[in-house]
Amino acid sequence: MAEIVFATGLSHAPGLTGWLDQAPEHEQKSLTDGFNRLGDLLRASKPDVIIGIANDHVLNMPLHDLHDFCVGTAQNWSGPAEWFRDWVNVAPYSVAGDAGVAKTLFEGLSARGFHTTSKSDLLFDDNWSVPLKYLTPDYDIPLVPIHMNCVVPPVPSPQHCYDFGLALREIAENDLPAGMRVAIMGTGGLSHDPGGPKYFDVDEEFDRWFLALLEQGDPGNVLRECTMEKMVAAGDGGTSELIAWIAAMGAVGTRPAHTICYEPSVALRCGMGCIYWDMEKETANV
Amino acid sequence: MPVADVKRDLASNRMIFDVRRDPAKYTGFTEKFEDLMEEYGLSEDERKAFRDLDIKRLGELGVHPYFLPQVSRLFHGGAYNHNNSPSAQAYGKSVVEGKGKTR
Repeated sequence: MAEIVFATGLSHAPGLTGWLDQAPEHEQKSLTDGFNRLGDLLRASKPDVIIGIANDHVLNMPLHDLHDFCVGTAQNWSGPAEWFRDWVNVAPYSVAGDAGVAKTLFEGLSARGFHTTSKSDLLFDDNWSVPLKYLTPDYDIPLVPIHMNCVVPPVPSPQHCYDFGLALREIAENDLPAGMRVAIMGTGGLSHDPGGPKYFDVDEEFDRWFLALLEQGDPGNVLRECTMEKMVAAGDGGTSELIAWIAAMGAVGTRPAHTICYEPSVALRCGMGCIYWDMEKETANV
Repeated sequence: MPVADVKRDLASNRMIFDVRRDPAKYTGFTEKFEDLMEEYGLSEDERKAFRDLDIKRLGELGVHPYFLPQVSRLFHGGAYNHNNSPSAQAYGKSVVEGKGKTR
């Protein structure tokens, strides 16, 4: 029986590494301190593997051949993909995968009916390159990336993503090696609108409402309140990436999320922030 | 154009999907996009929108919204992509200000 020892939701917008100096000084400090603290907490939990969940950004799954989820099965990964390298401003890196964990996840998710494929040649853009630079700057914790379709309708519903997270926990606890320590990382959001009319806007009210909702530790309420329609209204092009956070929430139970930082960063064209769930404490009675 | 209205089989979408993944296609894109448009069989409307760098029009034709800022970066570059960068400014002029053509 493996154990989920850490879980987080965090933004991955490329401005955080690509043009952070354009943000006001207080935003730079808040986000740098916050993401570094998240990295400290993640590494202190001593995970053997990170299971990441993030938007594919229509980079690996083409529009005519989509799946809801795609498990990355390679034993080694590298990034950023070349065309995105100067955009994210992250130096080329390599990080181990875990083909065994990936195979177990793919088989378990497929058996449970999730619309899942697998690939061993995923290209990474900002989805992993930005989080890893802050969370594991030495790239020394293996990553099993799970790409998801967040932006091509029909997008998996929040409820479906929550169920996906429940399944991840079930597979981890039943089928991954005994004693394995697992971190869950859902990345994307918060409000942003790449490709839409609100490209230079951030919906701070939505973002703060969403973070407060997660802090209640009541997944049922999150699923009732945070509809796809509300996410789309807060930024059609990207806010729905928050279904990756909801998938992570599915793996943690009724624990309240702790917000580390949040900035409505117009300069980075994204509501930027990060949260974590304390897996040491018992689940709340909600 | 809302994400919900994307045209999955549009030739431009197939082209952009491949271009970002293939150094042979994105290197020197501005000099070879006519050849690529021919290779992928873009309609005349799509070709005109690319020639005009009319990002708004590409969206109206059914290009996936997520690809639209990337089209701007293919022409203007992606490095240091802050709000006043050439690629962000071109996107803003075409889509946010609604002016369409940017050249």
